[in-house]
Amino acid sequence: MIALWPKRKRKRLDPTAARPLDKTVRKLPFFLGLGVVALAAVFLAGCQKKADTIKIGLAGAQTGSDGQIGVSMLNGSKIAIEEWNAKGGVLGKQIETIALDDEAKGDKAVTIAQSLVDDGVVAVIGHFNSSCTIPASRIYNAAKVLEITPGSTNPLYTEQGFPDAFRICGRDDQQGSAAAAFLHDQMHFNKIAILDDKTTYGQGIADEIKKTFESKGGQAVVYQGIGKDDSDYRANIDVVKGSGAEALVWGGMYAQAGPLFVQLRQSGVTIPFISDDGAFDQAFIDTIGANPPNVYLTFAQDYSGLPAAQDFAKKYEARFGQKEGAYSVYGYDAANVILTAMQEAGTTDADKVSAVLKSHPFDTILGKIEFDSKGDLKEADYVIWTIKDGKFVVLPGNP
Amino acid sequence: MIAELPSSSTLIAIIINGISRGAAYALVALGYTMVYGVLGMINFAHGEVYMIGMFSCVYAIGAVSVLWGDHLFLNLACGLVVAMLFSSAYGYANERIAYRRLRKAHILAPLTSAIGVSTFLQYFIFLNVSKSKVDFPRYYSDWLAGGHVHLGEVDITYLQLAILGVTLVIMAALFYFIHATRLGIALRATAQDQLMASLVGISVNRMIAFTFILGSALAAIAGVMLSMYNNQMVFDTGYRVGLKAFTAAILGGIGNIPGAVLGALILGVTEALTTLIVGSEWSNGTTFAVLMIVLLVRPRGLLGERVVDKV
Repeated sequence: MIALWPKRKRKRLDPTAARPLDKTVRKLPFFLGLGVVALAAVFLAGCQKKADTIKIGLAGAQTGSDGQIGVSMLNGSKIAIEEWNAKGGVLGKQIETIALDDEAKGDKAVTIAQSLVDDGVVAVIGHFNSSCTIPASRIYNAAKVLEITPGSTNPLYTEQGFPDAFRICGRDDQQGSAAAAFLHDQMHFNKIAILDDKTTYGQGIADEIKKTFESKGGQAVVYQGIGKDDSDYRANIDVVKGSGAEALVWGGMYAQAGPLFVQLRQSGVTIPFISDDGAFDQAFIDTIGANPPNVYLTFAQDYSGLPAAQDFAKKYEARFGQKEGAYSVYGYDAANVILTAMQEAGTTDADKVSAVLKSHPFDTILGKIEFDSKGDLKEADYVIWTIKDGKFVVLPGNP
Repeated sequence: MIAELPSSSTLIAIIINGISRGAAYALVALGYTMVYGVLGMINFAHGEVYMIGMFSCVYAIGAVSVLWGDHLFLNLACGLVVAMLFSSAYGYANERIAYRRLRKAHILAPLTSAIGVSTFLQYFIFLNVSKSKVDFPRYYSDWLAGGHVHLGEVDITYLQLAILGVTLVIMAALFYFIHATRLGIALRATAQDQLMASLVGISVNRMIAFTFILGSALAAIAGVMLSMYNNQMVFDTGYRVGLKAFTAAILGGIGNIPGAVLGALILGVTEALTTLIVGSEWSNGTTFAVLMIVLLVRPRGLLGERVVDKV
């Protein structure tokens, strides 16, 4: 039997019960004094720190299912900033980084964006997920804080007309048309199935692929969203199987791409599996195996052969004790580009730095890059990659 | 939306997948329903016990494979046993620490405590074990998840058969245990009236602890099978599956053992059919719509009885 209310105990009527409060009241001045001292200490410490640094925010997913790729991106930026600090900082001041985790959630991204702005950052490198970058960019724009994303590919980000928003990677319309061209022109498929994770990024890229593929005369026979929390895709796979699709396209991240692929093959479906830059992480290979048959991904040009990129890979491994991620170089380049532009502009004022960024090309690990008036890269080519011997490699015979 | 009608083999395949997904929910739902049947409280931390089962199985398999090599069945069995031990220990500890002292308190107190334990365990795993997803080692799952039985035009994997079989066997065993053994009778006595049960010599504390341990061990079995089935686990997997299982238990009539299984199967098939007919983005919507309709018609769930008037 569970009683609706606990029985009141007689003990509470004991007059001695009031004593502890009296004691506290008598000691009140002491506690108050302690509080004042603590507050003063915090205040003084805050003032001292504020004096001579330039603050840069590093924002992105650091935990949760997208944590791995997000952290490797932020680590890239950290290396760049440490190098600048070792050389004496920017504009004669040391750079202080504030790294915050948005957990790949849009609402959390807005909260940390506000907190970065309140902390007085002059620029933000991040976020990673488009669903975080886009809502956060409104806050940075209102506060006149420069934002550069190393990894968000949804076109909407730079289509908002914000003057100080940049991206140092391609856009999903470019990526989508590369994927659609591969599927239709190279593989000669007419029917494809498209699944996405319903996020701004995943659905965005899925939409772009569908649009381009259909404009080429193909047909998307399955077009469905899967919740980002779901982990059993067998029903979706049955639908794909029954639809007669010749390939399965996944718009989303590696954390779901891996199990989706594994379950697809376990269900006996052998059609090609095509995914995008969100699946481009070592964790995807760890899940699906070193030599999976018929897996293709769209990603930017291969830069790993360039000497600068090899140097960076060594530096990254020495600093963090693990291999770089797909977006580490982008994080590194993003930090270098904005710090170079700040040095050149002679100020941290977002509009002036932005004007410098749009004025001429910059040298990066990825080669010479140039921003257009929207803040996108003028040239961003996507190529088709596949997986061989536990590594991502560019598909042979592919421009 | 689909253009044409699905072929019958697709339909059958979808329903079979829905049933096996439902069977997996059912194993978790049994834990909710047992605790509710005995204590009249909802153990929100049950999903986390299930998640701990998943993690301890994978880590145990990793440890023993380092210790004595890749013996498929031996290591899997070790993983399962360790998972059951860990889950039972956590289940018992939850009862001992968070619920026992609140047993006579207002009904909201243990409920709130359970939500607290659930959140605590999630973040405990998140901060101490893994912040990102952990893969189930495919070496141990591929033979089960990749092997097929052909049934007409439809393929069923060994793992799906195993999940369904284990669920039905456990349900039958539990039903028999509760209705036909001395321990089961003592358990039902405890559920009916704790004071009277203690007067006839039943140790109420022990019976309740036993309920938690049994439910947690079942959750561990579910955790191991589902992590093989879905390939991955993360710290909040338990919360998500727990919510579905809880829904299933309510749907079938919470407190009722066959009800939990029936509710879970209906839930699984509803989700799968939704994927076929309108698309998987609607699966949560239709699931809860079904729950609402059932509750409007039968407020105590499909197999719920009016007699268990505890709360």
